[in-house]
Amino acid sequence: MLNFSGKGSAHTCDGINRRDFLQVGTLGAAGLSLADLQRLRASEQAEGNPKDDERSVIMIFNLGAPSQLDCFDMKPDAPKEIRGPFQPMSTRGDFEISEIFPKHAEIADKFSLVRSCYHTASAVHDSGHQMLQTGRLFTGGVISPHAGCVTSYLRGRRSDLPAHVILPEPMGNTGGGMPHGQDAGFLGKAHDPFVLMADPSKPNFKVPDLLPPDSIGEARLQRRKKLRSIVDDTVKSFEKSEDARLLDTSFESAFRIISSKEAREAFDLSKEPQKVRERYGMTRFGQCCLLARRLIEAGVRFVTVNTFLTVFNEITWDIHGTKPFTSIEGMRDVVAPMYDQAYSALIADLSERGLLDKTLVCNLAEFGRTPRVNPAGGRDHWPQCWTSYFAGGGIQGGRVVGKSDPVGAYPAERPVAPNEVIATIFESLGFDLETHLPGPAGRPFPLVDFGTKPIHELF
Amino acid sequence: MRFFTSLTLLLSLTLTAHAAEIQLLPNRLKLNGPEARHRLVVQQSSGQTLGAQVTEEVEFETADSEVAEVVNGVIHPRGNGSTTVTASVGDATSSIEVTVSGMDQPFTWSFRNHVQSVLSKSGCNQGACHGAAQGKNGFYLSLRGYDPEFDFWSITRQARGRRIIPSDPGRSLLLTKPTGMVPHKGGVRFDEESLEYRVLAEWIAAGQPEPTPEDPRITELEILPKQIVVKPGVTQQFLIRAHFSDGHVEDVTQWAKFSSTNSSVAEIDKTGHADIKGHGEGAIVAWYLGQNVVGLITSPYEQTVPEHIYASRSENLIDKHVNEKLQKLNIPPSPLCSDSEFIRRVFLDTLGILPTEEETRTFLMSEDAGKRHQLIDKVLKRPEFVDYWTYRWSDLFLLSGERLRPKALDAFSKWIREQVEQNTPWDEFARKVILATGSSYENGAVNFYTLHQDPLDTAETVSMAFMGMAINCARCHDHPLEKWTNNDYYGMANLFSRVRAKGWGGDFRNGDGKRDVYVVERGELIQPRLGKPQPPRPLQGEPVSFDSTDDRREHLVEWLIDDDNPYFSKAIANRIWANFLGVGIVENVDDLRLTNPPSNQELFDALAAYLESEDYNLKSLMRLILQSETYQRSSQFIAGNEADERFYSHYYPRRLKAEVLLDAVSQVLDAPTKFDGYDEGTRALQLKDVNISSYFLDAFGRPERLATCECERSDEPSMVQVLHLVNGDTLNQKLAQEKNWIGHIVDQKLSDETIVDSAYLRAFSRFPTSQERIEILTVLSQTSPSERRQMIEDLYWSLLSSREFLFQH
Repeated sequence: MLNFSGKGSAHTCDGINRRDFLQVGTLGAAGLSLADLQRLRASEQAEGNPKDDERSVIMIFNLGAPSQLDCFDMKPDAPKEIRGPFQPMSTRGDFEISEIFPKHAEIADKFSLVRSCYHTASAVHDSGHQMLQTGRLFTGGVISPHAGCVTSYLRGRRSDLPAHVILPEPMGNTGGGMPHGQDAGFLGKAHDPFVLMADPSKPNFKVPDLLPPDSIGEARLQRRKKLRSIVDDTVKSFEKSEDARLLDTSFESAFRIISSKEAREAFDLSKEPQKVRERYGMTRFGQCCLLARRLIEAGVRFVTVNTFLTVFNEITWDIHGTKPFTSIEGMRDVVAPMYDQAYSALIADLSERGLLDKTLVCNLAEFGRTPRVNPAGGRDHWPQCWTSYFAGGGIQGGRVVGKSDPVGAYPAERPVAPNEVIATIFESLGFDLETHLPGPAGRPFPLVDFGTKPIHELF
Repeated sequence: MRFFTSLTLLLSLTLTAHAAEIQLLPNRLKLNGPEARHRLVVQQSSGQTLGAQVTEEVEFETADSEVAEVVNGVIHPRGNGSTTVTASVGDATSSIEVTVSGMDQPFTWSFRNHVQSVLSKSGCNQGACHGAAQGKNGFYLSLRGYDPEFDFWSITRQARGRRIIPSDPGRSLLLTKPTGMVPHKGGVRFDEESLEYRVLAEWIAAGQPEPTPEDPRITELEILPKQIVVKPGVTQQFLIRAHFSDGHVEDVTQWAKFSSTNSSVAEIDKTGHADIKGHGEGAIVAWYLGQNVVGLITSPYEQTVPEHIYASRSENLIDKHVNEKLQKLNIPPSPLCSDSEFIRRVFLDTLGILPTEEETRTFLMSEDAGKRHQLIDKVLKRPEFVDYWTYRWSDLFLLSGERLRPKALDAFSKWIREQVEQNTPWDEFARKVILATGSSYENGAVNFYTLHQDPLDTAETVSMAFMGMAINCARCHDHPLEKWTNNDYYGMANLFSRVRAKGWGGDFRNGDGKRDVYVVERGELIQPRLGKPQPPRPLQGEPVSFDSTDDRREHLVEWLIDDDNPYFSKAIANRIWANFLGVGIVENVDDLRLTNPPSNQELFDALAAYLESEDYNLKSLMRLILQSETYQRSSQFIAGNEADERFYSHYYPRRLKAEVLLDAVSQVLDAPTKFDGYDEGTRALQLKDVNISSYFLDAFGRPERLATCECERSDEPSMVQVLHLVNGDTLNQKLAQEKNWIGHIVDQKLSDETIVDSAYLRAFSRFPTSQERIEILTVLSQTSPSERRQMIEDLYWSLLSSREFLFQH
C-alpha cells in the first residue's frame, strides 16, 4: 500500500519492503504525512519526465448527451424507427459520421471514436456526469474528484494560473439533484477548479473581479497584504478547520492570479485577431473553446468546457422531443452547427500551433440515447451504449475502437466503462495508474479502481 | 457511576480471545422447518456492552444433537424439540435455548419471501438490470422486487412463459441465464451449487407457487449485533434476521444487501463481513425485502482522557448527552470560549448581525457572573431576531419573486414575519401552512399552495419542510433507503387531491398572483402503477375513508404533529440545532432517514422530547442550546479532539452566511447596501425575496429558493469569493464611500490608538492584542496625513477580509 512509485523490488505480500518501511518511517519522523509523500513522489515524477509536465487536457463535456445514432454511430441499414432522419457522410478518418457535422468530417483524421461506451448506473444525467468525469459513481458518502482536480493535486499549478479551469460555468440542474462530479471531492476544496462564471462571447466579457479597481495601485495592494498578515497571524484558534485553511489557499491563489500579467492576459480574448475569434464561432461554446486554447498555452493543465449548463428550457443534446427539452430538429439546426464549427476550429488551431500532440481533447457525455425513436420523434436516455471521441495527447486519429450492435443499443465489441475513459485521460497525462490519492479520512484511494486499464487501442 | 462506566468500557476493549465474558447471538432461537438454518456469532461482552467478535478457538456444543447441530458456526435443525447450544471460548461460556419445529411439515420456497430475495441479492432486479423502468432485453422486474405480483407474472407468464420449463426446471431461462449456461449480458450471477440456484430450482419444481395475500409478510428486520464497541483492525460478521407476520424468524444474512455509512470507520462486503478501519462512529445498513436496519459501530479513540475532563456542573440536558458521547469515544471537550467570542457568536447565530462597539464594550466590562444568560435573554427579544428567523423560514418556504407576484410575496413574507414575532409554536405554524385556504393576498400562508399545486409536489414538500425527509424516490418505486413504499407515497399525495384554487395552472407568475385556495368534496389521485387511487393516508398513519368529505389535510396535520410521529419534532429540533452548532445531529438536516443515523441518538431524542414538552416553543429550544456549555465551547482544538467533526467537542468554525456577511461589512463600515426596490438602509436579511440581484450574495452562496433543501445554500470559501473581496466593487466601494464610518473617524481626528481599538471591536468584538496594536500603530505612524484616509481604509480592508471576520468561531 505504501508503494507509490511501483518501481520497488522484493516487496512483501502487503507491498512493503524494508527500504520502503524505513523511508516512510524517516519521513514520518520528519513530520511528513502520507499525502505529502504522495505529492512529493508525484512532483518527482513530473520533474523526472519533463515531457509529462507539458501535457494538458481539454475535456469537452456534452451535457445532455448526444444521440449516438444521429451523430457518430449511424445505422443507415436499421429500420426507420431506429436509424433516424439523418444520412451518414464519409470522412477523412476510417469511419462515417452524421451529415450534421460536415466540419468534423474534414478533420476526422485527427480524432478517433470509441463507439462502445456504456455504464450500468441509473439513466439520470447526474450519475453519468459523476462517472464520466471522476471514473466512479458516488456511493458510501465518497465524493470522488474530477480528473482535472486529480491533475491539480498530483501536478499542482504550472504557472500563475490555476491547474484546472471550468468554462463557462459549472453544470447546473439536470434533474437528478445529485452532485455532478465537477469538483475536487475528497481531495478538498483547495483543488476545486477555477470557474469562469461569465460568457466569453459577450461583447463586454471580462472575468469577474480579476483586476483590482483603478484606485488600488500596487503599493496599496502590498500594504493591504501586509496589514492582513498582521491581523491574521494573531488568531490561530481554528487553523485546523478545513474551511479556514481553504480560505487561506483561496487567498494565495487569488493573489497570484491578480498579480500575474500572463494570467490576466490569458483570459483576455480581445488579444485574439477577430478572424480567429470568428473561426471558432461567436457562440458561448465557440469562445469557450478559444479561451481553452489560450489557457492551455498560458499554463493551465486541464480545461473542462461544458457545452451546456442545464437540459431545461434550452436547446441542447437532450433530444427527448418534448418540452422543456429539445427536439431532434433543434439539435440539427442549433446545436450541431455551433458545435461542429467550434470543435473543428479548436482541433485545427491546436494542430497548427503544435499543441495538439501534447494536449488531449476528449469529447464525453453522460450516456447515449434510446435506439428507438420515441412517439415525440425524440430519443430518451440510454446508458447502455454511446460514442466518446478523443484527439491529440498521443492519440492516433482516424480510428474506431469498439463497435455497437446493429441498432446501437449495446456494445458488440470492446465495451468501454467510464473508469477506462478516465484511465485513458490519466495515461495521456503520464500518471502512474498505481498512484494512490488520500481518500476520505486520509485512507489511500487508488487513482482508478484496481485493474482498470486505459483504452490502449487509441494510442 | 461515571468511573464505573469507563472502567467496564476499558475492560471490554482489553478482552482477548480468552475473554472473561462472551455472549452468543442470537440470544434465543426458534427454527421452523428443514431449511431454517441459522448462523451464530460470539461476541466479547462486558455487562450490556458488546465488544469484538470472537472467531478463534470457539467451540459449540449442542445438548441434544437429535434436535440441532452446529456446523462451521451455523446451526442446522435436525428434529423437532428443544435443546441448548453452548459456545465456549477458554473458560468463558454462553448458552442459548433452541426450539425446532415444523420438521415434519412439507416445505416449499415462497415466491414473495425467497425467490424475490434471490433475485434481489443477485442483482437481477436492480436499476441497471431487469429492474430498470424499461426492463432489460424484454424481461422486466420491479425495482428491488417491490411488486411481487408483477414479478411473478413477468417470470411465469410474460413472453408466453418461456422463462420457466416446469417439466425440467434446470432448462428454464430463469436458471440457465444467471448461471451462464446460455449467454447472459448480465454475466454469471451464481453457480449451480449455490443456495440461490437451489431455491429457484426447487420453487419451479414445486409448481411455481404464486404470491398470495396469505403469505407471511416481513414485519421487522433485525441486525445482530445491534451495537458494538471495538478497535480498528478487528472484523465483524453481522447477522440479519427477518421477523414475519406468522411469528417465524429467518436468518437472511445471505440475502441482505449491506452498506457502510462511514467508510473511514468500517467497510463491509456483500456477505455482511465488516472490517473496522478507523476511529469514531459508523453505521452498517442492511436491506432486505424493502426493509432497512442499522447497526452501530463505536470505535473509541485510543487515548487516555482523565476522568475529570468530562466532569461538568452543567444541568443542561444537552451537556449531559454530549459529554456522555465524548466520554464513550475518548474525545476530550475544549474549554469554554471567551466573552468576546461568545457575544459575537450569539449575535451572528441568533440575529445575523454583529454586536455594536458599545454593546461589546459593555458586555466585556461587566463582571456579573450571570451575564451570558442575561445576554441570551436579551438577544431573543430583539427585533433583529424577527428579521433573521423570517429570512430562514423564507428559505424553507421558497419565497422568491421568480415564482411569486409582488403582492403575493409581500403577503407570504408578512405572514411568516407575524409568526416569528408572535413566536407561534412550530406545530401551529405547520397547521396554518398545511390547512391554508382563502385568498393568497389575505392569508399569506395560502401562497404555499401557489408554489405547490400538484399533490405529488405538495406531499414531497410537506415531508421535506416538516419532517426533513425526502420521499420523492417512492414516487416511482419503493424507497430504497427508507421503508416508504410507492403505495405509501400515493396515499400521502392523495391527501392533497381535493385542494383546488382559482388562478392555478400555467406559469407560476401568471396574472396578478391572486389565488383562492379551497377544498372540494370529491376527487382522487390515481396511482399510475395500479391505475387506481390509494386510500388517503399519511405515511404509516391511518387512512381516511374515500367517502369522507372532510378536509383530508386535517387528518394529515393531526398525524404530523402528534407526539407519536417521530419525525416532526426531530426535524425541527435538528434544523434549529444545526443553525447554532453548524452541523446537524443528523447531517444533512434535509436527510432524516433510518439509514442516516444521528451522531448522538440520545441527544436527538432528548431535544425532540424537550421541544414537545415545551409545546413547540422554538425560543425555549434556542435558549436551551445557547445556554449549554456545548454551544459555548471554544473553537480552539485541544490535543485529541482535532479530528472530531460530528460530536461537538468544540465549536466548529464556519463562514458567515452570504447575507449575514454582507450586512456585517455594511455594519462595520456604516455603509449600507442599496437593494433595488427597497428603502435605503434595508439589510440583506430584511429582503423578502432572493430574486434581488446581488453578485456578492450569489458568489457567497445565497440559495435560489426553488427547491426545499438546505443544500441550496453554500457556505464554503472559494477563490471567486476572495477575488470579489479583494478586487470586487462591494467591499472597495463601501470602504471608499465618503460618508461612511471611516469618513466619520477621519473627521473626528481620533487618536491612532482609539482608531485601532474601535476597528477591532467593530469587526472582531475584541481588543487588539498588544502585538497587533504595536505593529499596526507602527504602520499608521509612518503614513503621511494626506494618505491617512486611504491608510484607514486599508486597515479596515485587512480586518474585513481576514478569516477572523469571515468566520464565526
